[in-house]
Amino acid sequence: MAKPLPGRVVNQIRLLRFMANEMTQAELGERIGMTRQTVAAIEAGKYSPTLEAAFRIAQVFGKPLDEVFQWEG
Amino acid sequence: MAYREKTAWLTLACMIVAYVIYFSLVLSGQVGPRLLDIVWTFGIVVSIQAIVVIIGHIVLAVRGGAEGRARPDERDRAIARRGGSAGYYVLLVGTIMVGVVMPFSDPAPKIVNTALLAIVLAETVRHVLIVTSYRRGWHG
Repeated sequence: MAKPLPGRVVNQIRLLRFMANEMTQAELGERIGMTRQTVAAIEAGKYSPTLEAAFRIAQVFGKPLDEVFQWEG
Repeated sequence: MAYREKTAWLTLACMIVAYVIYFSLVLSGQVGPRLLDIVWTFGIVVSIQAIVVIIGHIVLAVRGGAEGRARPDERDRAIARRGGSAGYYVLLVGTIMVGVVMPFSDPAPKIVNTALLAIVLAETVRHVLIVTSYRRGWHG
């Protein structure tokens, strides 16, 4: 099997929270069914959410998925 | 620190203290060779550990408020799966040792204590991986 290309998932959640009247991590977590710590871990790039959770986050901000999460190669 | 990370730390700490005491007693010869001696000593240690862990969980849940009552989310579940998977392999090796290898070469008390040690090691590895995953991040 070929070696996967190097890279990582980055996100704009902090910026989007700021633009959404400084929505707190706890508020976002409540709306997507996650703890504040998990939202913090996603924001810091310490945890890559499932596709379903990623879509939920994008839905909260009313943005398409690729405006919230990007692949940085 | 996440509520579930705190409970993992608590369980790990209590387990290390409890079983260091138990296996120190075994190695120093203060636990007799009969099954009843082993079960009695182990039972006391496990009971005290369980009481401390249960009280600790209650305290953490009360102090954690809504988070303490919340169900684990996908990250909590992914981290728990990772820990369980690693612990399983440790337990598998221990089971082979006590069930396949040791019956042909070692006395019963040693087999019993090695089985208990395998369980303790598997649980320790599980909890170490859980706290490590919470600390360093998890990209399952």
